Amino acid sequence: MMLSRAKPAVGGDLPHADKRKKKGRKIPKLEELLSQRDFTGAITLLEFKRHVGEQEEDTNLWIGYCAFHLGDYKRALEEYESATKEENCNPEVWVNLACTYFFLGMYKQAEAAGFKAPKSRLQNRLLFHLAHKFNDEKKLMNFHQNLQDITEDQLSLASIHYMRSHYQEAIDIYKRILLDNREYLALNVYVALCYYKLDYYDVSQEVLAVYLQQIPESTIALNLKACNHFRLYNGKAAEAELKSLMDNASSSFEFAKELIRHNLVVFRGGEGALQVLPPLVDVIPEARLNLVIYYLRQDDVQEAYNLIKDLEPTTPQEYILKGVVNAALGQEMGSRDHMKIAQQFFQLVGGSASECDTIPGRQCMASCFFLLKQFDDVLIYLNSFKSYFYNDDIFNFNYAQAKAATGNTSEGEEVFLLIQSEKMKNDYIYLSWLARCYIMNKKPRLAWELYLKMETSGESFSLLQLIANDCYKMGQFYYSAKAFDVLERLDPNPEYWEGKRGACVGIFQMILAGREPKETLREVLHLLRSTGNTQVEYIIRIMKKWAKENRVPI
Amino acid sequence: TDSEGLQTKIVENQTYDERLEINDSEEVASIHPPTPRPKGLLGSAQLPDKTMADNSSDEYEEENNKEKKKPSQLTPQRGFSENDDDDDDDSSETDTDEDDDDEEHGAPLEGAYDPTDYEHLPVSAEIKELFQYISRYTPQMIDLDHKLKPFIPDFIPAVGDIDAFLKVPRPDGKPDNLGLLVLDEPSTKQSDPTVLSLWLTENSKQHNVTQHMKVKSLEDAEKNPKAIDTWIESISELHRSKPPATVHYTRPMPDIDTLMQEWSPEFEELLGKVSLPTAEIDCSLAEYIDMICAILDIPVYKSRIQSLHLLFSLYSEFKNSQHFKALAEGKKAFTPPSNSASQAGDAETLIFS
Repeated sequence: MMLSRAKPAVGGDLPHADKRKKKGRKIPKLEELLSQRDFTGAITLLEFKRHVGEQEEDTNLWIGYCAFHLGDYKRALEEYESATKEENCNPEVWVNLACTYFFLGMYKQAEAAGFKAPKSRLQNRLLFHLAHKFNDEKKLMNFHQNLQDITEDQLSLASIHYMRSHYQEAIDIYKRILLDNREYLALNVYVALCYYKLDYYDVSQEVLAVYLQQIPESTIALNLKACNHFRLYNGKAAEAELKSLMDNASSSFEFAKELIRHNLVVFRGGEGALQVLPPLVDVIPEARLNLVIYYLRQDDVQEAYNLIKDLEPTTPQEYILKGVVNAALGQEMGSRDHMKIAQQFFQLVGGSASECDTIPGRQCMASCFFLLKQFDDVLIYLNSFKSYFYNDDIFNFNYAQAKAATGNTSEGEEVFLLIQSEKMKNDYIYLSWLARCYIMNKKPRLAWELYLKMETSGESFSLLQLIANDCYKMGQFYYSAKAFDVLERLDPNPEYWEGKRGACVGIFQMILAGREPKETLREVLHLLRSTGNTQVEYIIRIMKKWAKENRVPI
Repeated sequence: TDSEGLQTKIVENQTYDERLEINDSEEVASIHPPTPRPKGLLGSAQLPDKTMADNSSDEYEEENNKEKKKPSQLTPQRGFSENDDDDDDDSSETDTDEDDDDEEHGAPLEGAYDPTDYEHLPVSAEIKELFQYISRYTPQMIDLDHKLKPFIPDFIPAVGDIDAFLKVPRPDGKPDNLGLLVLDEPSTKQSDPTVLSLWLTENSKQHNVTQHMKVKSLEDAEKNPKAIDTWIESISELHRSKPPATVHYTRPMPDIDTLMQEWSPEFEELLGKVSLPTAEIDCSLAEYIDMICAILDIPVYKSRIQSLHLLFSLYSEFKNSQHFKALAEGKKAFTPPSNSASQAGDAETLIFS
């Protein structure tokens, strides 16, 4: 007998102290692995059993099930395909095969396999979604009518609403089901996804938190959280969320890897886009759009156009991008057709109920009016969100033009001068409009300096004409005369002489009015003398005479 | 031009207002959720909504006016998802052109040169005549191009689609609740198939299975120390769980304790001057094994495997001995094959027949 025993013989906690080791020592059961959603482990176990001949019934179907839920649809396909080839195959397997084809994007095969399966709710849901993929509204309605008021069918319907951008309808379904089934936690994530799509990022975060509280390592939920952070804060905050997700995942975890790689490119502002995105085009719908955005940012408009030209837009983002690409290309090529398409897309998005109060929606309206050259309207829209874009060159480039075009040259000048990009500053649009603003704001010298900095080209010639005529109009005859003088030398057009003559006399008048220093007269005479015209002598004689009388040195 | 421009603006404002009004009514009907507006959107607070709201009281009147004057310059938009084409753009474009004309060739510019300002100058007739030249040239109105720099959208993150319940059921027909209680996604903690296979093999005692096992390789291993650590950890865990391998030597072998005895003082002294032959020595592996075993008093019979086993057992004994660990800190006389992991690995593959 032993009376001094200290450790309880039964229920002692010592063996459980190291939980990890304990787990390792025990050989897991299939049911445990499934409940932990460790489908990799489950497949390994099933394969092992198959290998050593402990084959139970339906091992291939179980492997197919696990591979499917692991997201390894190719593997699932192998199992189901071989299963359907067996002699006494359960006809139910066909619908499994069909689902697998569906997730592999092989919709024709999915439909064929689906029809071979006996009628079931799953089959109907599958055909319903296929009809959506095929854009077959008639079939869609048919299968829609077959949907019943049971949870799975309703959730499947909600998913269609989501894909058709009818987010509110989807939310309604989820909320209704949640009302009776509080324990269906996953539905919170679906609701959060809808709110995300509706741009209600903080509402999305709130709903999402309910799920993450229970299942903190959920990939889908954490990815959504990262996306919300991207929208609410910045790429850095978003990347931090993804990083914790990647750090916690075991190395055999492959699920959603593509999605995560894709989003890392997004969060890092396009870093690695050309390596990561091209293979993901048509796998992840956003990949194509992001590649287009990347090309646009690189000013490679043609490449952007090639990628998007065959895309049939359905979401606001797609309409916007098509508009942007068409606008960029249209202006580059001077194609009115492209500009018109752009303007229509912009109007469609900017005028839609869902986008009219978002920044992108208003950008669209501003762009639309810009292309229509209705600059007062452009300003209304740009003003409504200018606080978000104070230092944005693109915004300022458009804003300044609109200001200048509506006659507000002083603010136009101010905004033009905020622009940092050297490329934009060398754009003739920038130079000409800024020159006009300077002249209208009585700073002709600055306009003249813009000309002096330019290399001789067709554009510098145009700028001279602008300076010559605008200055003339504004009575700034000195710079007008200088500009006409150069124009006359470049092109002996009598019109330039007339302009120069008028401008020189204009300076003379200003000297008499006390608005120009008398010393300028010497330069005027010099400018006049460079023209070999008989009128020159006559004008010079009068001016000299006046100079003599007024003791102005010449 | 300015004042005219302003007047035109009012008309356009009206159209703009009207459009928003219509959108609003539609918004109530379907598209927007009834939840409070979060900051993510341009809320009314941040916006100069005045321009849109101010005229709302007389919207009907304006609407009518507008419809007469400018038919469908800005058409009411349907819900976005409806996706309808609108074909009213042609008319709106022509409208615009008219607007442009109005604005550009209107009244004189503010601050423009006006010859009448200078009529009072006390000048001679001659000079006055000269002044005529100023008005004789009419400056051209130069139309400048506009260029829209399109607003390039931000990159778009992907959140994926929502579970459509197109999922294969369990073969036994039991509910799995995937997509309901939890999202239908694998957990981030997935078993390593290789490790689990080893466990299963170990457990079933069917060692032949191992030979058919796929062993994955790790790309960019140097960038992924975590994966390597995990692997080492799980393999050593596996080995810890195994009973220590006992080997029955077929030929007589000295026991470990004897082998661990100190060398004679002369030999120890010599070691101070001459180091043990390293693996770089110019001889075959077999010869090298014979040499080392001889130095360590391990007999070599026909096969060297058992001798090597004893050699590594001896090494492992030294290595795990607290006493020698302390001693070895300073002088590392003997640096035999690498680390414990590969040692364990070697032991694993040794099969004695």
